[in-house]
Amino acid sequence: MGIITDSQNKKKPSSSSTFPCAKLRDAYHNCFTRWYSEKFVKGQWDTEDCVSEWQKYKACLAEHLEDKQLSRFLEAEGNVNCTTTDGG
Amino acid sequence: MVKAYTQEYTYKHPWDRVTSASWKKFADAENKRTLSHILEVDTLNHKLDPSTGKLYTTRAITVHAPGPWFVRKIVRQDVCHCVESTVVDAQARSMQLTTNNISLEKFIEVEEKIRYDPHPENPNGWTLCRQETSIRIKPLSALASMAEKVEQRCAEKFVQNSAKGREVMERICKYLEAESKGISI
Repeated sequence: MGIITDSQNKKKPSSSSTFPCAKLRDAYHNCFTRWYSEKFVKGQWDTEDCVSEWQKYKACLAEHLEDKQLSRFLEAEGNVNCTTTDGG
Repeated sequence: MVKAYTQEYTYKHPWDRVTSASWKKFADAENKRTLSHILEVDTLNHKLDPSTGKLYTTRAITVHAPGPWFVRKIVRQDVCHCVESTVVDAQARSMQLTTNNISLEKFIEVEEKIRYDPHPENPNGWTLCRQETSIRIKPLSALASMAEKVEQRCAEKFVQNSAKGREVMERICKYLEAESKGISI
């Protein structure tokens, strides 16, 4: 079935609808993981960093996310009662 | 027809390091080669509750799952979208991830639950990972007659992929450990 041995197969992603957001995603992700390991797990969970990175990345996803089942989750965020101030 | 698998694994690293590694699992370039079945991971939603220290995250995971030829013939796609919901409780030190497939759901339902908790024998030094995978082939689906075989293959693939996942986790933990001690590797 070639699960383990597929390292020779240079398969290309056949659907990378969010590819245009890759740079914004990396910027957000790097910021998030730093915040998580340096602040959140160390007890500083009262404020959230990376707000502008998240806003930019989310705006890009809203534009490029073609899969309707996935965009449902993105849209659902509007209904979430977010208690953080994001200055939006 | 449900198959369920439970696996337990002890990471000899503290909880904060292991859960940090979990967030990095799909991102680092080196791991992308090992976890080559993961094509895309996007954060769709996140929310921090600053009063309780709980973090809720929803991510989309696109998995390359070509499967055997007869499955491809029926489902006509070789990528599968999954949604992963994560709750991290920083105060209680627990992390729970639940992943469900949202494509091909007419044929198959896969749910994977992973929990990371401080290890009862060494809560400040080790982390216990418990993973439960359940796979259900929908009755009356076009695949019903071959369901048994598909389930088996599916299960094998999940077990292989979770072994690969652990390998990646161990690698990141080592890296984070070295980083925290100021050693460059």
